[in-house]
Amino acid sequence: MTEPQGTIQLPPQLSTIAPEVDAMYYAIYWISVAFAVAIFVAMGIFLYQYRRQPGRKAKPTGHNTFLEVFWTFTPLLLLLWLFVEGFEGYVKMSVAPEDSVEIRVRGMQWNWEFEHQGGVIDDLNRMKVPVDTPVKLVMSSSDVLHSFFVPGFRVKRDVVPGMYTSLWFEATTPTPFTSETECQSDNDCGSGYHCGQPREIPNGMNADELLMGGAPPEGAPEGTREVRYCSVSVFCTEYCGAPEGITLSAFSEGGYNSNHATMMADLRVLPVEGYDRFLEVGPPPPPECAGAEDVNVCWGQSIYQGSGCIGCHGNDGVRQQPAPNWVGLWGAVRPFTDGSERVADENYIRQSVLQPQSQIVAGYAAVNMPVYRFSDRQLDAVIAYIRSLTPDE
Amino acid sequence: MAVEAGTAAPAAVENDESNYLTAKSGLKSWALTVDHKRIGVMYLVSVIVAMFLGGIMALLVRAELMFAGETLMEADTYNQLFTLHGAIMVFLFIIPSIPAALGNFFLPIMLGAKDVAFPKLNLGSFYIYVIGTVFTLIAIVAGRIDTGWTFYTPYSSRADNAVIWMTLGVFILGFSSILTGLNFIATTHKMRAPGLSWTRLPLFVWGIYATSVIQVLATPVLAITLLLLIMEKTLTIGIFDPALGGDPVLFQHFFWFYSHPAVYIMILPGMAVINEVIATFSRRKIFGYMFVAMSSVALALLGFLVWGHHMFTSGMSEYSTMIFSALTFLVAIPSGVKVFNWVATLYQGSISFETPMLYAIGFLILFTIGGLTGLFLGILSVDIHLHDTYFVVAHFHYVMVGGTVFGFLSGMHYWWPKMTGKLYNEGLARVAFGLIFLGFNITFLSQFIMGSQGMPRRYYDYLDQFQPLHMTSSGGAFVLGFGFLVLAVVFIQSMISGAKAPANPWGSAGFEWMTTTPPHAHNFETTPVITRGPYDYHLASEEELFDGFPEDRAAQGAKA
Repeated sequence: MTEPQGTIQLPPQLSTIAPEVDAMYYAIYWISVAFAVAIFVAMGIFLYQYRRQPGRKAKPTGHNTFLEVFWTFTPLLLLLWLFVEGFEGYVKMSVAPEDSVEIRVRGMQWNWEFEHQGGVIDDLNRMKVPVDTPVKLVMSSSDVLHSFFVPGFRVKRDVVPGMYTSLWFEATTPTPFTSETECQSDNDCGSGYHCGQPREIPNGMNADELLMGGAPPEGAPEGTREVRYCSVSVFCTEYCGAPEGITLSAFSEGGYNSNHATMMADLRVLPVEGYDRFLEVGPPPPPECAGAEDVNVCWGQSIYQGSGCIGCHGNDGVRQQPAPNWVGLWGAVRPFTDGSERVADENYIRQSVLQPQSQIVAGYAAVNMPVYRFSDRQLDAVIAYIRSLTPDE
Repeated sequence: MAVEAGTAAPAAVENDESNYLTAKSGLKSWALTVDHKRIGVMYLVSVIVAMFLGGIMALLVRAELMFAGETLMEADTYNQLFTLHGAIMVFLFIIPSIPAALGNFFLPIMLGAKDVAFPKLNLGSFYIYVIGTVFTLIAIVAGRIDTGWTFYTPYSSRADNAVIWMTLGVFILGFSSILTGLNFIATTHKMRAPGLSWTRLPLFVWGIYATSVIQVLATPVLAITLLLLIMEKTLTIGIFDPALGGDPVLFQHFFWFYSHPAVYIMILPGMAVINEVIATFSRRKIFGYMFVAMSSVALALLGFLVWGHHMFTSGMSEYSTMIFSALTFLVAIPSGVKVFNWVATLYQGSISFETPMLYAIGFLILFTIGGLTGLFLGILSVDIHLHDTYFVVAHFHYVMVGGTVFGFLSGMHYWWPKMTGKLYNEGLARVAFGLIFLGFNITFLSQFIMGSQGMPRRYYDYLDQFQPLHMTSSGGAFVLGFGFLVLAVVFIQSMISGAKAPANPWGSAGFEWMTTTPPHAHNFETTPVITRGPYDYHLASEEELFDGFPEDRAAQGAKA
């Protein structure tokens, strides 16, 4: 496969619009260089030629209306051309083709959520798109301004609370998740890419084979390994803050999605058949749960750790703040701040996840818990995990 | 007349009005002064303190970014630092720097006037500036402001209440700006000396005049916007926060309707200074005087029509986007005209390279780069990629620092002898220039590349591949910081032990050099009658021009 290469100035071209944007970029770049060189050279010559010398006086400034008019109005033509070309490119970027595949994007502090056709919601901050297919993103935010930016695609659009914005692109280069694209650090991936968040893969396989429903080869050792793959970078470019007074771990230590600077998603461009299969099966239970005693409990625990529940909810029966500990939660009577109460059952947990502000347990502040839109299967897994934390009596 | 007064030794008598610095003494004589020169000096001290604070914050930000991950501070602290760096530099330093400090000092002198039109109002604007600054400092001390200097909603609607103090401070600062602008407009219209027609007006005055027009027209919109933001936060009236039924994009429209013209409030005075310096050190009238003067006015007017170019990705309609892009290109014309004319002024001049001229040459180089990179951002399809990346950060620093701050420093060196009556160490000042110019370019050239490669701005942490460029940029920032340190030594040394400055050390034909040094408390002993333009070197007498350099005069005499 021939990877598109980036240049000193620009990341590799990974979408159909990228070459067009880059052509304009280089046009204005060379025009600027020409102007700058002309101005600097003229200036240098004059500065040297007319440096102060004994006995030589400056000549009084005359008029040259032609020159004045010339350099006032000639650049206008050039600027007009730049405007028209730039606008043409922009129109192309603004109008998505009729047959685009639609993906809903939801921004929240500091995660990206992607919902595909058929209601398939991927794991947070993981984005899959088909190659050589126009993809239209319909985006909204549940808190503050965000902005969806993929440097490799040359697309960017603000994600605004209270309204929908959209953008489209057509990816041209697949992002294989094979042994060749495994990485240790961002430096292994080059510009336009980053080394994605670790994922658990059964030994002897890669993520591509796993997606296509393959099985580990004969003789592969039992268990899973943690792998990181080079993924296309998705950044948030509209400033959205950081939690107050918390030391955050760096990218290099896996500290993703904890503040504005790390609000990234791993974008993976799939062959069309791979994307179709993904839509069919949805996000599967993580592979390490394949042999687990209870797949749902294992999956729920994985969500608990991977989606950030662990940040506020303890699972040790000890830590009670800033949010209720999950041990002993199941089946307990929950008193609310408004004086009412309810038994913690499936529906209680479901509502707490989907509408966290709707029922605040007495003794807790209404912290700004992100609204997770888990699929039913993911919700089942979370419920199963919470249930497993309370021993049956 | 001016020449003789300048060389006469100031008599140490009570109420000697030949030197504004010694005419009266005591704290009260400063605190309650209505002398525009003293008010200018007080502004100057304030903005330099603000620049120092903002600069420290910039260095802390760059220090944190030397390495990926957490090196010095938490993300939250970092966010507050870059917010304060921006807010302090914009509202407390750059906007008042040239107009309120240098403009206050020199605009009336250049007009041959005794003072500004409303001297008490002038003192009032200074105290409003001080009150605004106090509110801003309270906000810094009292709370946690991490919204970025743009205060974008709904983040700011939900942020710490210290934002109210901060915006209130900026709101008050705005009034200082409006009143100063009003004062300058009235002064320029009504207080010109006999013979000083509009076509003889120094280009510095033209620039400050155009700036004042923007200040008067645009700043009220900022005030309205910030007031609405404060009302939303205190009374929960939904204006910008969608959770209350408001529109966050409306805030951006309001904000940039002021803040884009504000860009011209910042750059026009820088250009204004450069006109004076280039004319003086080339011994030549600025080429295309009227085109240059009118380009300032054109920038002031066009500047009101392009605010939308900050919002190409915001979700604004495609039609608005198109119109704002087209208008944005028009702004390039007057800026280009100025640069071409400055370069043409050098042609057939007699150019010397003292420190003010070095900064002016630095300005020409950096402003050209800043202006040309602006074109990248005006082209819609390219802007989509570059918006909110380090490319934009580098671009506006080239314009704001390379333009305005270099203009300010050029003016500081140029007028320092006139303001203080003392000379500074030319050699050391050149060293400081070299460090600042070099450091600045290292810092921000690397940011252009980072940005076009896709590094977003306001990031506390970054991907490993950006590390070498961030390291380079930070290294440059420290060189830049060191340059400013040397600069501080230059000025402090001059104040303590600088040689006495002659009335006209640069041999300028400008009107402000026709009075004594430091100027008379009423600027001139008698109202001057203007018989030539400020750059008419061929019409100025040898005594006027070469008073400052006896050796030059001797050379001239020997030749004759």
